Amino acid sequence: MSEKTVTVKVLRFDPAKDKEPYYQSYRVPFTGGMSAMTALDYIYQNLDGSLSYYDHAACSLGICARCTGKINGKPGLFCQTPLDGDVTLEPPGKSKVLKDLVFTR
Amino acid sequence: MSKQTIETDVLVVGGGGAGFRAAIGAAETGARVTLISKGPLARCGATPMAGADFTLDGRSLAQLGFKGDPNDTREKVFSDIVHQGFFLNNQKLVSHYVENAPFRLKELLEWGVKVLFSEERAIFTSGIAIMDALLQKARSVGVVCLEDMMVLDLLTVEGVVSGALALDIRKGDFVHFQTGAALIATGGWHKAFWPNTGMRDLSGDGIAIAQRAGAETGNMEFITFCCNILYSPPIWRGSLATYVAGLLCGGELTNSKGEAFLAAYDPYIAKVGSETEWNKSFVSLATVKEVKAGRGSPGGGVYYGRGDVPWEQFERTAMLVFPNWKYKAMDLSGLGRIMKDGGKVEVGPAVEYFDGGIVVNERLETTVQGLYAAGECTLGPFGANRVFSAITEMLVHGATAGQNAGLYATKRKIPSLDARVFEPFEENALLPISLKEGLSPAGVRRRVQEEAHDKLGPIRNRPELETFIRFLQEVKSEELPRLHAQASGRVYNKGWIDALELRNMLQLLETAARSALFRTESRGVHFREDFPFTDNDAWLHETISTWGGDAPEIRKKPATLTDLRPAEGVVPYMQMLKRMMEAHSDTGGHH
Repeated sequence: MSEKTVTVKVLRFDPAKDKEPYYQSYRVPFTGGMSAMTALDYIYQNLDGSLSYYDHAACSLGICARCTGKINGKPGLFCQTPLDGDVTLEPPGKSKVLKDLVFTR
Repeated sequence: MSKQTIETDVLVVGGGGAGFRAAIGAAETGARVTLISKGPLARCGATPMAGADFTLDGRSLAQLGFKGDPNDTREKVFSDIVHQGFFLNNQKLVSHYVENAPFRLKELLEWGVKVLFSEERAIFTSGIAIMDALLQKARSVGVVCLEDMMVLDLLTVEGVVSGALALDIRKGDFVHFQTGAALIATGGWHKAFWPNTGMRDLSGDGIAIAQRAGAETGNMEFITFCCNILYSPPIWRGSLATYVAGLLCGGELTNSKGEAFLAAYDPYIAKVGSETEWNKSFVSLATVKEVKAGRGSPGGGVYYGRGDVPWEQFERTAMLVFPNWKYKAMDLSGLGRIMKDGGKVEVGPAVEYFDGGIVVNERLETTVQGLYAAGECTLGPFGANRVFSAITEMLVHGATAGQNAGLYATKRKIPSLDARVFEPFEENALLPISLKEGLSPAGVRRRVQEEAHDKLGPIRNRPELETFIRFLQEVKSEELPRLHAQASGRVYNKGWIDALELRNMLQLLETAARSALFRTESRGVHFREDFPFTDNDAWLHETISTWGGDAPEIRKKPATLTDLRPAEGVVPYMQMLKRMMEAHSDTGGHH
């Protein structure tokens, strides 16, 4: 494949089987104007259906703020943070992780 | 697995504007009210995404102290809504809308909603401001609000709604409700289409569960597509920014050949059809015509630019709605740069509003005892085409539905349901997490969404609708039972939720596709290439649908025409469209 890809490293934690959180990396096709949420959608829909992020009632347009997390260590909304290269996605600091990127407020 | 049982007088399903207004109305009758929100409180459903306009007659608006047109009347508004709806409107519901709108605006102001600006017969505020005010009011009257919860089915005892099964999405546990009445306010089912403008929770759960509980639905083929939605880049996909810019600032739409294709239409239709909120139906239709003729953009849309509107003027108007090219957390400065440089962006129609839905009367009762409905999920006042505000609809509906549900439920003893009656519903819901392997719900969903956008879009025809129905039947029988949630456990299991939603969306898509095939004419937002005329002899009728267990049954029922009736005869669609536009009263503005 000659198309450009980026590596997206995601914090994973499944309370049903994991003692500690860990990181998992995925290679995602890069398109101009994609957001961190676009990458998560791609991973969930094409690479790994076990990934959880707050999606079932997210607005994806910067209104509801439920996709809050850390993007390369900086707090922000996954849906409104543009990607320009490899990236690490984590739940917000100090939050209690419910599953993967979904956290308890 | 832990199971919770909750007793309540009125169970409101849906956490948008209609649901919250209904919950307030029910609580004010003395009923104990529980509201279930699928997503974050006051931040899910379509309402927070809205601009938002609230429409009412200009005279009432002026009496409330705003710049309304004092010569406007309720009769003019009534007539305009009926003409915009191509006479398919339930005129009793139009009266209900017109009569109640001023009260709903007055209370919004009392509850602290700020008006940004007003015009002849509308005020503009934000959906978020409305939601914040409603949430605060609901809490003050004792409504219990639960979030991140999805209602899976309604339970009836001898045909009367008595309970509901819900899923706590975070924990993955079932919740049993025993209720005196249920009220559906779940909005539209945007998620059944791709692209769409709705939030990701809008999968039509409420309409689907009402259908399964025996409620009639109607006019499900009438689906409004909003034109000029941003198709790319992905970070803006689904945003209405270009729609709003086109309406307020002007601009130009071109096809892949660079032609301003709206110029090919009757100048009057093109003008009214792009400068007022008629644009949703007219421009969406014209856009899909270009795409179907091979003159679309790579993403299946067309191009929007500012045309000959001077940049200074364009930006000044845009700043009213997008200060500093920001809209909430969305940074639109890149869009501003493109517009300044005279560039173009890819835009197109995306599903935005559902004119049909659960059948209700003017008391907002459904055809099932103990079941009420409000807002976009109903077959509301707009007939075949909506131009007036859905924000007004959700509030006038919500207030009446909530009050009537509260009065009904408080006269009734809350039914006691044996846990065993929930079991068949739970077994069905557990299927996607009990299979060891199977199909990805998200993968199946995307195919369904794209087919829906293509075959059930603004332009339909018999062969495509029949192909689509066969496709839906195959997905329903071959794929739906094999949907498998890949994640282990029940805690926030996305695949599981997706599978449960897909069941509902397939049900509604099949109902809508069969209704669209059944209606052999063109009217409002339903355009049939093979029947390009409005048939006022045979089709002043609603299409009524009921869920027969495995497939919808569709029949005709005369529309409720109390005051206004169109001339008899069969009229070519574009001619009917122009007549409906020309019949508009002398009140100005965007509606």
